[in-house]
Amino acid sequence: MAELVGAFASSHAPLMARAWESVDPVRLDSIKKTFAEMGRRFREANPDVLVVLTPDHWVNFFINNMPSVCIGVGETHESPPEPWMKGLPFKSPWQGDPGLGLYLAEQAFEKGFEPTLSYHLEMDHGVAIPLWRMGLTSLPRIVPIIVNTVEPPLISVRRCIDWGRFLREAIESYPQKLRVALMATGGLSHSIGEADMGRIDEPFDMECVEHFRSGDIASLVSFLERKVESAGNGAAEVRNWVMAHSAVQGRGFDLIGYHPYPEWYVGCAFATWNFR
Amino acid sequence: MRDYWVSKLFFDMQQPQAAEEYRANRDKVLDRYPLKPEMRQAVVSDDVATLAKVVNPYLLRFFYVAIGKPESWFLERISKTAQAKDAVHG
Repeated sequence: MAELVGAFASSHAPLMARAWESVDPVRLDSIKKTFAEMGRRFREANPDVLVVLTPDHWVNFFINNMPSVCIGVGETHESPPEPWMKGLPFKSPWQGDPGLGLYLAEQAFEKGFEPTLSYHLEMDHGVAIPLWRMGLTSLPRIVPIIVNTVEPPLISVRRCIDWGRFLREAIESYPQKLRVALMATGGLSHSIGEADMGRIDEPFDMECVEHFRSGDIASLVSFLERKVESAGNGAAEVRNWVMAHSAVQGRGFDLIGYHPYPEWYVGCAFATWNFR
Repeated sequence: MRDYWVSKLFFDMQQPQAAEEYRANRDKVLDRYPLKPEMRQAVVSDDVATLAKVVNPYLLRFFYVAIGKPESWFLERISKTAQAKDAVHG
C-alpha cells in the first residue's frame, strides 16, 4: 500500500524568480536557509510521488472553464510557461503519475467529491518556485491538484478539511507500494492587483500559524472563515495548507520560517508537518 | 461581475508575442475583441479604476506587467481605487 511520508507547505511569489536579489543580503540569506531546510526535509522524506495542492494563476484555466478542484492525471506535465521562469532547472516534461492520479479521481467520485480531470497541465510558478528554491536537483513524479483560489466563488474552508481527510484515506488505500508526499503552495497574507497591493498582514499570518500549531481544526476553520478575506486575495491560497493540515489530522505543524518581505509582496511562510 | 472580453484580452496578453503585438499595434489587437465601447475606452485610456471593477485582480496586474508598465505606475493607480471607494463611502 502507498504511504504518506511527508507534508510540506510553501509560499511562492513571482518576484522570487523575477527579483530574487531585490531583498537585502541578510534577509535573502535568511530565506535561503529556510528553503534549504525545506529541501533537506523533503529529501529525507524521499517521496516517489509528490501530490501538489496548488492554485492556477491563469495558466491552465480561464473564466470560460474554471474548475474548483482539478486533478492532473497526465503521464507528463509542462514546465511553467511564464517568460520569467526561464531560469528554472526543471525542463519539460515533468513526469506525472497517472495511476495514482486516476485512482484519486475515482476514489473522489466514490466518496462524494466531483473534481475535474486534466491529462495535460502546465505547472506554473506556484508549484515550480518552491521546488526550485528548495534546491532539488530532480523531481519526483507529480500529481497536481489545482484548487481555484484566484477567482471567486472559492471552495469553502470547511470543504478543504473534507478534501484533506479524503486525500489521506485515498493515498493510503492505493494498492501500490509508494512513498507519497503532499505539498501545499501559496499564502500567507498578500494582495495582488488590489487597492492594497503590497500589504502584508503580519498579525493575520501569526494568528494563522498559531491555529495550525494548535492542531485545533475547528478553531482554524472558524478563524479563516472570519479573517482570510481581510488578508488579501492571495491569502485565499491558505486553503491548500488547510487541505494538507487536514490530511495529517492537524498533527505536528512545524513552522520552518516566516519572511514577510514587502519586496515580494508576500508574507512568506514555510512549514512541514511531523505527523508520523 | 466580470467582463468576459476584457478578461479574455488580459488573459491572452500573457503570451509574450501577443503583448508585443499589442504594444506595436494596439488598435489592431483590440479590434479582435468585441469589447463594449466603454470598456474599450477604459483599456485605451488605462483607466485602472474602471478595469479593476470588471476583471480579476491577478489578470489586471499581469496585463500591465505584460504591456510594459512600470510597477510603480500600476501601484499608484491601483491604490487610488481604494481612495475612490473611501470617498464614496465616506
